Amino acid sequence: MARWIQIVAALFTGLTGLSCLLILAMVAIILGDIVIHGWPSLSWTFLSSAPSADLGGGGVFPAIFGTVALVLLMTVAVVPLGVAAAVYLHEYAPQDSPVVYFVRLALQNLAGVPAIVFGLFGLGLFVRFAGGGLDAIFFGGRLTFGQPCILWAALTLAILTLPTVVVATEESLRAVPRSYREAAYAMGATRWQVTWRVVLPQSVGGMLTGAILAVSRGAGEVAPILFTGAAYYLKDLPSKLNDQFMELGYHVYVLTTQSPDVEKTKPLLYSTVLVLLLVTFALNLVAVLIRSRIRRRLRST
Amino acid sequence: MKTILELKGFSAWYDHHLALKEISLEVQDGEILGVIGPAGGGKSTLIRSLNRMNDLDPKFRADGTIRYRGIDLYRDPVDLAVLRRKLGMVFAVPVPLPGSIYQNLAFGPRLNGPGDGLDAQVEKCLRAAFLWEEVKDRLTLSAFSLSGGQQQRLCLARTLMLEPDVLLLDEPCSGLDPLSTAKIEEALQVLKKDVTVVLVTNNVMQASRCADRTAFFLQGRLVECGPTQQIFVNPREKTTRDYVSGRFG
Repeated sequence: MARWIQIVAALFTGLTGLSCLLILAMVAIILGDIVIHGWPSLSWTFLSSAPSADLGGGGVFPAIFGTVALVLLMTVAVVPLGVAAAVYLHEYAPQDSPVVYFVRLALQNLAGVPAIVFGLFGLGLFVRFAGGGLDAIFFGGRLTFGQPCILWAALTLAILTLPTVVVATEESLRAVPRSYREAAYAMGATRWQVTWRVVLPQSVGGMLTGAILAVSRGAGEVAPILFTGAAYYLKDLPSKLNDQFMELGYHVYVLTTQSPDVEKTKPLLYSTVLVLLLVTFALNLVAVLIRSRIRRRLRST
Repeated sequence: MKTILELKGFSAWYDHHLALKEISLEVQDGEILGVIGPAGGGKSTLIRSLNRMNDLDPKFRADGTIRYRGIDLYRDPVDLAVLRRKLGMVFAVPVPLPGSIYQNLAFGPRLNGPGDGLDAQVEKCLRAAFLWEEVKDRLTLSAFSLSGGQQQRLCLARTLMLEPDVLLLDEPCSGLDPLSTAKIEEALQVLKKDVTVVLVTNNVMQASRCADRTAFFLQGRLVECGPTQQIFVNPREKTTRDYVSGRFG
């Protein structure tokens, strides 16, 4: 009997361990494959030059630039909005109100919407409705904002990543002890003062975690920017909010599907994917560094 | 003596649970009123009703009246921020806020003003809480670096910075060692010259040492209230006698 139990226990330990190993193995295979094939053709020229017009050669600099600009714009849009929404949900709204219920429901649904739907939604709301409206009102109908561009793409991505930021921020607000709030209220603080002086400083780390997750998610998405601003090929870098841009993920897609000679673009493709991973990693690293710096400063005061 | 707080037929509920039943009680200006009774008897509900901290709990409901200096707290228009400064509260568990000792003291004044030139007041309040000598050289250190007993005296000093009219102490010594407890009790004896104190305590002896009058609560009802001497030596009710002599609770 005891022997039987020992065998089952060993079996389960083995199974659970194997699952973990599988995860490691998959990550290692993916990363290994990309690095091995992508590394040889990765060069300074590749990073700093534009692709050739037939997409058969050249570099990816415009796509790197576009990706970074897109993600920064998205972060600037999504963090304030997400944090404000989370603060309202957690600090202000009565917890049993139907409004809160429906907002949470909406957020959960938003998180489950396929990315391509966001792309079409962005095209409809931002490009046609908002952009078209702006053109009609301020530019005398001249096509200015009523076209796919980096601003609309960034806002579309911001909506896609909004649930991430709200959930992470709410999590960090929840982690602030109730006793802090009570102590502040007992000293005659208003709700605004409790939120601003006690709760928010304690949850900055969590908000930035939300931003980091949003960056990771946003930097890799192609579908939402397909119709809202990403371009197939551009000679020039975007310099205004209503310019189109190249993006690494989209560039990978274009290289895969549009090249007449697959074998010729293969090394290029591998290198581009490697660059996409590196850029995402670098953006994350920057956010993590900012977060640890802020945390250190908070701790020292 | 003047009545500063007056409860008349005050009842309180959390959802459908009756926490206080038709309490009528007066607190006199300048006294220390001890509130004793076993856990779950409504002591905390009572004290948290006085500065309307219970309002933070959406399940809380109240009926009857509480008057503070003539103002009906649950019917007249009341600015809660002002009210809670007048009726300063110290909790059972010390709650230093993140930040330095000095920042903790300055938190209240800085809510409503520029918050500089507080040094003299900080020293005065820390002295009143018998903490000054222990922290005067490290005011800029984190409040979390203090011991539990020091943290509780810090909270007392922080509340004194609001220049309260009434001090509401909710079992302020429940987690403290005897020495820290003695220091807080000593502070209270000095403070009562300027403020009225409502002292909820789960320590019967603390009430007998500190309180001018004592109220005994049992299962949401006020059993009796009278001069501390009388409550301890010659109570009207048998349950009071049993409780103060340690026979239950």
